Amino acid sequence: MKSRSCMAVAGFVVTLAFLFPMYAFGAKDKVVIGHPACLSGKYAKAGEQAVGGIKACIDWVNNVHGGVTVDGKKVPLDYKYYDCESKKEGVTSFIERLITVNKVNVVFSAYSSGLTLAGAPVAERYGMVYMDHGGASDRIFQQGFKYIVQTIGPGSKYHEGTLDMIHHIDPKVKKVALAYEDSEFARMTMGGAEKHAKALGFEVVFKRTYPKGVTDLTPLLSDLKTKKPDIVIGGGHYEDGQLFTRQMSDLGIQVKALSLVASVTLPSYYEALGGRLAEGVMGPSHWEYGVTYSAAGAKKEGLDWIGPSQDEFVALFKKAVGKDMIPEYHAAEAGAQVLAYVKAVEMADSIGQDKVRAALGKLKFMSFYGGWDVDDTGMQIGHSMIDMQWQEDGKRVIVWPPEAATGKPIYPKPAF
Amino acid sequence: MGMTGYVDFGYVTFIALGAYGMSLGITYFYQVEGLGIWIVFIGFLLALLLASLSALLEAFIALRLRGAYFAIACIGINEGLRHFIEGAKLWGGSEGLIFSGSLIQAVGRETANQLTTFWADLAVFIIAALAAFLNIHYMRSKIGYALTAVKEDEDAAKVMGVNTTKYKTIAFLTSGLLGASVGAVAWGLKLGYVFPGDVFVIHYTVECIVVVLLGGAGTLLGPVVGGLIYGLSKYWLAIIWPGFQLLIFAPIIIIIIVLFPEGVVGMLKNRVRGTALERYLL
Amino acid sequence: MILELLGGNLAHGLLLGGVYGLATMGLSLIFGVINVVNVGHGQFIMVGAFVAQTMFTALGLSPLIAIPAAFVIGMALGFFFFYTVIRRLVEAPELTTLLATFAIGILLEEIAKLIFGADFRGYNWGLGKIELAITTIPLSKIYAFVGSIVIALFLYLWFSKTRLGTAVRAVIEDSEGARVCGVNVDWIYALSFAIGIGLTVMSGVLLTMFIPVGINPYMGGTYTLKAFVIAVLGGLSSPYGAFFAGLIFGLIENGAYVLFAQIPGVAPFSLTVSLAFWMLFFLLLLKPTGLLGK
Repeated sequence: MKSRSCMAVAGFVVTLAFLFPMYAFGAKDKVVIGHPACLSGKYAKAGEQAVGGIKACIDWVNNVHGGVTVDGKKVPLDYKYYDCESKKEGVTSFIERLITVNKVNVVFSAYSSGLTLAGAPVAERYGMVYMDHGGASDRIFQQGFKYIVQTIGPGSKYHEGTLDMIHHIDPKVKKVALAYEDSEFARMTMGGAEKHAKALGFEVVFKRTYPKGVTDLTPLLSDLKTKKPDIVIGGGHYEDGQLFTRQMSDLGIQVKALSLVASVTLPSYYEALGGRLAEGVMGPSHWEYGVTYSAAGAKKEGLDWIGPSQDEFVALFKKAVGKDMIPEYHAAEAGAQVLAYVKAVEMADSIGQDKVRAALGKLKFMSFYGGWDVDDTGMQIGHSMIDMQWQEDGKRVIVWPPEAATGKPIYPKPAF
Repeated sequence: MGMTGYVDFGYVTFIALGAYGMSLGITYFYQVEGLGIWIVFIGFLLALLLASLSALLEAFIALRLRGAYFAIACIGINEGLRHFIEGAKLWGGSEGLIFSGSLIQAVGRETANQLTTFWADLAVFIIAALAAFLNIHYMRSKIGYALTAVKEDEDAAKVMGVNTTKYKTIAFLTSGLLGASVGAVAWGLKLGYVFPGDVFVIHYTVECIVVVLLGGAGTLLGPVVGGLIYGLSKYWLAIIWPGFQLLIFAPIIIIIIVLFPEGVVGMLKNRVRGTALERYLL
Repeated sequence: MILELLGGNLAHGLLLGGVYGLATMGLSLIFGVINVVNVGHGQFIMVGAFVAQTMFTALGLSPLIAIPAAFVIGMALGFFFFYTVIRRLVEAPELTTLLATFAIGILLEEIAKLIFGADFRGYNWGLGKIELAITTIPLSKIYAFVGSIVIALFLYLWFSKTRLGTAVRAVIEDSEGARVCGVNVDWIYALSFAIGIGLTVMSGVLLTMFIPVGINPYMGGTYTLKAFVIAVLGGLSSPYGAFFAGLIFGLIENGAYVLFAQIPGVAPFSLTVSLAFWMLFFLLLLKPTGLLGK
């Protein structure tokens, strides 16, 4: 018994240690962004990207934009982040510390819907604007939180464009299989995809989920194979996407189109599959290197433009992470969020939380990341998804929507 | 470690069920008129109920299995339960329960804010104090001796007429109820959601064991000292070198274990054995 | 139709089970000889996976060459950790070593992250596949299975035919007795720990022959849990028991899915995983010595 109450005591002491009062001096001559980043643990990959993207855009704001204009004065942006280890305790305690000790002016969420939800009540309690660039679940915005604003698009829309595209190219194809990871986010995507597929007249011949962290998908894919689908859509996070593709090829499942969320758009996906297996596979994405959003395009749509051009962003990102690495959408959405915040502060001409939140609600603009606009609950509605496809020699081609496309889709996809 | 010598890897199961109890209470009762803030108490009761059931189950296993076998059986229950909830789509399945919105609807925004932060933290302190109190109480009472006997030699204890079944059950129930209380408050109320994949995580138990061992098992101050070492050093490392804290932390743990296999407090205790200080270190 | 699916899945399950079995032998050996539950088990598997991936992509060497290389690296790691950490803790309570191996696991993860980054990696051996009536099986899986069996057999022979192997078995049975009979128990401890880690790292290579993607510093945790379950099914301190338990586990993991998929309104994959753990639970209650135990 002692062992257990010992553990209880131990648990509290750890909690207490986190709550330990710690003092620092928050200078008021700068605007500070706080971020419980996921630098280790299961979301380390996305966390590294986000930190790089945020640093890149802060660099731009301070050195090109000249700082944030508040009360007619240009003030530099600063960035304070901790490593939450992809854990909910880390998120809540670090957000608390960022607000009370570091006196930050805005908090950015960690990664994933769960961790974003974990931080929301804390931000809400302190009346702090909480910007979400990593939690795609629609349900976050159905809880009545007042201070949360989303930059990443809602999960339910991920595969709609893919289905539109296939329907557009080959209206005769009917049989679609859905196989998603059993997680909050992927289920949201699956629900959206199923609804949209039925609306377009597809026949859903297979619909299953697989648990997070699974290391062998053979049973599920064998089952899928017997349903003989024409197209397969699914996925969830990173490793399962590689596994999914690899084992489809192992089982010799040949389809006309394969599209997986999250993993496909990463260069590591192509490398891990030795290139050939990745060819023709598609993935929806919020942003990809090569999209054609520009100041001129923004003008045409009557939207304000702010921030670096795509190439400038990439250069700043490389400088921020100190590696020759092309940013992925996690970096772009975190970076765009910095721009959204700057824009809102300048619009409100204040760093007061309620004023900034109100300004974010009204804000509508375009950056290298694309459009940005939120509805009343704070959910992102102004950003549209794109679809990318791996083509010959590891080329990443944006194939949908036509206005953002950099090339034609390969359809049907080459056999494994 | 501890008095019974049973390593309870299933401790996290209690915490997880506590979080589920709270979530279920709020999710299913928030629309009932006139309950208001009482839904939190209903949630708390559900948490205690679920945890008691699983504590009894573990106590039942503990009657049959010992040592590493018992530890692994507890891991089995934890993982089995998690995947069962996901597989059978019980309680929202893998989508979990998100109840922040429901709580706000039931008690109003201001009260909800107060509940999830101030009152939740306060409750954690109270439970901690209660745990410490029970710890001392058990250690100094007949139960403590009985449990120590179980640890030293269970069969001998039985032969000597110690009702091992009874004391083990008491031990598990206490720990289950404490765990569930923490879970209901810290993982349920405070966070406003529960996902099975997030709460049934064995890693947390391992962390607790690390804390207890760092400090020294079977001492009262042990967990406190261990918790301070573990929590503070990890926290500060995370602040000073974000992203590298674990790389530095792991060798430190290894060094501490190799140098003080009985934990920091255990080591101190040996030093001061026979002096007046010994009493205070228990 | 269902039978065909079941047959195909069982074939895959059997192949995977062989690799699982080998991946657990190291854990059982270490527990059997020095009574240490290696909580960092999965992280050693991760090391093996990186050995295979690096040798393939950077040096262009076949995973078959990575197998012995991984064993040597694993032995070296095993001796290193034994003499720096574990040796001082052999007499300490079970939990102390548990904590030590936990910390070693974290250390390995963080070092791997420092060297390789947090990316998910993989490699493509591209050996081709065999088409069967019921399913398609890639050749690399068959190599991995055959490799596991050969290694397990080799270990069996070493245990039963050599003096050293016999000494190890003697220590598993009764370490005090062995000491009295003149066995250098400390050396056996070190050697068994090193072999155990060697086997584990090696199984990491075989695992990538089965699943050559998703290799990353944090991949180990899942395998630690699976290995625990398998080790108990096999009777915890028996390496051969572990091997056969691995086979059974692989079969169940793949076979039960087909049956659960017939129930409407559930997520069969999660239920399958759940089943494995409940099975473990009941087995422990009914027959704690493992499926093959006395």
